[in-house]
Amino acid sequence: MSSPDPDPATGPRPGEEPGGAPAAVAADPPEDRRTVLGGGALGLLLLVGAVLVLAEAAALHAATDATPLGPAVFPALVGALMAVVGVALVVRAARRLGAAPSSEPIPLSRVLRLAGLLVLLVGFAVALPLAGYVVSSTALFTGAALLLGAPRPWHTLAYGWTLVAVVYLVFDRLIGLTLPAGPWGF
Amino acid sequence: MDSTGRDMDEPGAAARPGPGRLVRSLAPFVTAALATVGLFAVQTDGERAQAQELLDGRQLRLMAPAEPGGGWDQTARELQAALRDRVGRAEVYNVGGAGGTIGLSQYVRLPPEPTELMVTGLIMVGAIESNDSPVTLEQTTPLVRLTTDYEVIVVPADSPVQTTADLVELMREDIGAVSIAGGSAGGVEQITAGLIAADIGADPAEVNYIAHSGGGEALTTLLSGRATAGVSGVSEIQAQIDAGQVRALAVSSAERLPGLPEVPTLLEEGVDVELANWRGVVAPAGISDEDEQALEDLLMEMADSPQWQETLQRRGWGDAALAGPEFEAFLAEETARVGQVLDDIGLG
Amino acid sequence: MDQLGALMQGFADAVTLGNLVWALVGVTIGTVVGVLPGIGPALTVAMLLPLTFRLDPASSLIMFAGIYYGGMYGGSTTSILLNTPGESASMVSALEGNKMARAGRGAAALATAAIGSFVAGTIGTIGLTFLAPAVAELAVGFGPPEYVALMALSFVTVSALLGRSLVKGAASLLIGLAIGLVGIDAQSGQARLDFGVPALLDGIDVVVVVVALFALGETFERLLRGTGRETVEPVRGRAVLSREDWRRSWPAWLRGTALGFPIGGLPAGGADVPTFLSYSLERRLSKHRSQFGKGAIEGVAGPEAANNAAAAGVLVPLLTIGLPTSATAAVILTAFQSYGLQPGPQLFTESGPLLWTLIASLYIGNVMLLVLNLPLVRLWARLLTIPAYGIYAAVLVFSTLGTFASGGTFDDLIVLYALGLVALVLRLADAPVAPAVVGVILGPLAETQLRRALALSQGDPAVLVSSPLTVTLWVLIVLALLAPLAWRLTRGVRERRRTAPPVPVTAVESQADQD
Repeated sequence: MSSPDPDPATGPRPGEEPGGAPAAVAADPPEDRRTVLGGGALGLLLLVGAVLVLAEAAALHAATDATPLGPAVFPALVGALMAVVGVALVVRAARRLGAAPSSEPIPLSRVLRLAGLLVLLVGFAVALPLAGYVVSSTALFTGAALLLGAPRPWHTLAYGWTLVAVVYLVFDRLIGLTLPAGPWGF
Repeated sequence: MDSTGRDMDEPGAAARPGPGRLVRSLAPFVTAALATVGLFAVQTDGERAQAQELLDGRQLRLMAPAEPGGGWDQTARELQAALRDRVGRAEVYNVGGAGGTIGLSQYVRLPPEPTELMVTGLIMVGAIESNDSPVTLEQTTPLVRLTTDYEVIVVPADSPVQTTADLVELMREDIGAVSIAGGSAGGVEQITAGLIAADIGADPAEVNYIAHSGGGEALTTLLSGRATAGVSGVSEIQAQIDAGQVRALAVSSAERLPGLPEVPTLLEEGVDVELANWRGVVAPAGISDEDEQALEDLLMEMADSPQWQETLQRRGWGDAALAGPEFEAFLAEETARVGQVLDDIGLG
Repeated sequence: MDQLGALMQGFADAVTLGNLVWALVGVTIGTVVGVLPGIGPALTVAMLLPLTFRLDPASSLIMFAGIYYGGMYGGSTTSILLNTPGESASMVSALEGNKMARAGRGAAALATAAIGSFVAGTIGTIGLTFLAPAVAELAVGFGPPEYVALMALSFVTVSALLGRSLVKGAASLLIGLAIGLVGIDAQSGQARLDFGVPALLDGIDVVVVVVALFALGETFERLLRGTGRETVEPVRGRAVLSREDWRRSWPAWLRGTALGFPIGGLPAGGADVPTFLSYSLERRLSKHRSQFGKGAIEGVAGPEAANNAAAAGVLVPLLTIGLPTSATAAVILTAFQSYGLQPGPQLFTESGPLLWTLIASLYIGNVMLLVLNLPLVRLWARLLTIPAYGIYAAVLVFSTLGTFASGGTFDDLIVLYALGLVALVLRLADAPVAPAVVGVILGPLAETQLRRALALSQGDPAVLVSSPLTVTLWVLIVLALLAPLAWRLTRGVRERRRTAPPVPVTAVESQADQD
C-alpha cells in the first residue's frame, strides 16, 4: 500500500507542530477572510466527495477470489483520506475565521454574473445539437465576453462570429471533425 | 489560430484615435461578413455533389464504438475505403469506451436512418453483459458479420511451457498460480481463458486473469516474463510470434490459420474451445425492410470484392461474411454463450 | 555505421520537395492543434487518416509524425501565456511559465520552451536512431512491479507541486485521485462512481480534467473577481533569452531530455510522468530555488524538454516492438497498418528505407518547428494585448469544442462544467490545481499496476522488490525522501549557529521560498 496515498508527501516534513497546521503555513501572511472561507468550502467539498466515494466502496464487491486487492480497496483508501483532510480543512477554517483580516466581500452582481455564465454554458450544451455549432458557439462567445465585461456588444458579436466560423471551416470542413449543424447547414 | 490572433488584436487598435479609425472600427464586421460568405461557399460544394441512388445522395456515417486505433476503428476505416467506390465519401467517427457500450448507448438514440451504421462485434456482446448495459443490440437492426480475428495462446519465448498440454497441466495443478495476461476485463481474451478453464474442469471464476487496456499493454506484461501465458488477437501479436519473442501454443479457430500454419488449434490439442472475435455492422432499429435488404446487399457485395479480400489478407482477418436471418441466429447464439461464460467467470 | 548510412539515405529520400511540403503541413497543423486546449494530435491524426487512401506511405507518415511533434511544441504556448494547458503533458509548464508571463517574461518562457523542445526533440530523435534497441529492451523489462516503483517515485515528486499549504495541496491531490476512480475498473470490470451515466463509464478523460481545472477555473475566477476587462499580462522587455537565461536553461533541457526519452519509451510511461519528475528535479537542483513558484525558467525548460523527448521515446516501442504507448501512437500504428506495414521487430528489415525516411523527416520536422515557432513567439506574446474578456470567451469556445470532440454528448459538457466549479473552489481556497491533475494521471496507473503485480504474485508483496530494477527504483525513492531532509537538517544547523534564536526548520525553508 505504498504508492498511491500521499504519505510520501506528508512523510518528509519534519518540524510540524503536532496536531496543528504545518509551521510553513503559519509563516505566511495570514489569509484573508475570503480565502479562509474558501478553505472551509474546499473542506466541505472533500467531505461530500468522501461520502460519495466511501458509499461506492461499500457497494462494490470483490469480483473474484483470485484477486488479492479488490476494486473497493482504493476507493476506501481515497475516501478515508478525503474525510481526514476535509475535516482538517473545516477545522482549520473555523479556527482562523475569527482572526482573519477582513476582505472586501464579492459583490452580489458578480455572483449573479457567474450564475449567468453557468446558465449560458448549459444552454450552449442544450442548443448545440439543435442550432448547430456556429450559432451556439457564437452565442457562447458573445455572452461570455459580455459577462466578463466586454464593452461593445456588436463588435464582440462580430469577433465571435468570425472566430467560430474560422474554427468551423478549419475543423469541420478541412480536418473532417464532424460538428453539429443547424437547420441552415452549419 | 493566426487569423484569430490577428482578428482579436483589433479591438485595441480600433480604440486608438487617428486616421483610418472608421475603417478599423468597421474591420470586424467586414471580416465577419467574409466568414459568413465562407460558410455558405463551402456548403454548396460539399459531399452533397456525390449523389448515389441507394442513400438518396446522403452521406453514409459509420460509428466506430472505440477509440482510434482499435479493431473496430480499423474495421470502420477499412469499410470506409472499400465503400468509397460504391457510395462515395463515408464518414467515420469514434465514440470510445466501455467495450463499445458507450457508443451503443448513443447509437440507439439516433433516428432510424439507413445512413447511420455502426461497427459491432463479439466484444460488444460481452460488454453489454458484463456492464449490465441498459441498451442492447436488440435495439439495432443487425446487418452483416464481416470478419473474424482468432485468438492465440502464447507464452514468453523462454518459458518452460512448451505445449498446450503443459499449460493445461499447470492449470489443473493450481489454477491461481497460472497468470494469464490479456485485454480488458470481460473481453474476448478473458472469455477465451474462461472457456478453456471450463473445458478442463476448472472453475472459470478462479482464473488468474490479468486485464489490460489493450493487446499492446498485455504484451509488455508477457514480455517482462511476469505472466505465465497470454491470450491475444492473432493480428495483434503476429509480428512478435514471427520474431520469436513469444511462442504460440494454440489458436482458437476450427482449422489452422494460413498465417500460422505451424500452430495447432485448441481442438487438436484436446481442448474443446472454438472462439472467433467476429466483427460486423448494424443499422438503427426501425429502418424499412427494403433499406435493410439494400444495405445487406451493398455490404455483402463489398465483402465479395477483390479489394475487400485484399484488405482481409493484409490485416490478417478471416472472411466471415454472413447476412440476414443467419446472422441474426448467430448473434442470438453468441449472446447466450457469452452470457453463460461471463456468469461463470463472475462478471455477468 | 550501418545506421548512419541508412539514415543518410533516409535524408536523401526525405529532402524531396513533396516530402518537405508534407512535413511543413504536418508541423503547422500540429502546432495549431497543440495550441488549442482540448484538441490534441491524436484526434487530428485520426481525422486525417482517410488521406492515407490518396497519399503514398512516406508522405502521409511524414505528415502524421509532423503533427505529432508539432502538437508537443504547440501545447506549451497557451499553458505559458494563459495558464490554460491544452494537454496534460504541458500542464507543468504552466506552473512557472505562466508566472514568468505575468512578470512580463512570456517571450523568454516561450523561447526556452521552443528551444528546449528542439534540443530535446533532436536528441530524442538521435536516441531513436541509435539507441532504439536498448530502450526497447528496457521497456520490455518493465512489468507491473517496476511500474509500481516508478509510480511511487512519481508520487514522491508530487510534493514539489503541492504548494505552500500541505493540507490544501493534499486536498487537491485527493480530488484528482477521486476523479481518477471514475469509470469501469480495469481489473474487475466493475463500474465505479459512474452514477448511472454512460458517459462516465469510461472514466473522465484527463484532457477534460485539465481543461476544466485550468481554463474554466480561470474564467470563472476572473468573472468572480471582476478582472475581465484587464489586459491579461503585461509584456515587458525585448530580449527573448538573456545570457543568464541560457545559462540556466541548457542544463535543464539536457536533464529533461534524459528523463523524458527513456520514460517516454516505456509502455506505460507517457509524456506526463517525466514532466513531473523533471520539475521536481529542477526544483531540487536549482540554485534559484526561491524563485520556484514565482517564475523560475528552469521549471519551464526542464519539463518542456522532457515532454518532447518523451514524444520521441514513444516512437521507440512503436517502431521496434509494434507497441503503441500513447493515443497518437495508436493512431499512427493504424496508419502504418492501412499500408500493410506492421510495426514490430521486422519493420526495420522489411521496410527499412521507408522507416529511415520517416526518421530523417523527424530531424527535419524539428528544425522546421524551431524556425516556425521562434518568430511566432513574438506573435503569441501579442495575444496578451487582447483584453481578458476576448481571450477567455475564446478559451470557452475551444474548451467546449475539445470536450465535445472527445466525447460528443451533453453529459460530457456537464462533467466539464462541474469540474470547472470544483476548480473555482480550489482557487478561492488558494489551493493549487496541478496536484489534482497529477492525481488523475497517476492514481489509476498506480492502482492498476499494484493490483496487477499482486495478482501476478498471488498476493505476495515481495514481488514489488523482485528484480534489480525495482530495487534500484526503491533506493531512488528513499534517497528522494531523505535528501531534502538531510539538506534541511544541515542547513538548519548552519542557520542556528549563525542566528541566536533557534528557528523552526520548516519556517526557515518557507522563508527561503518567500524571497
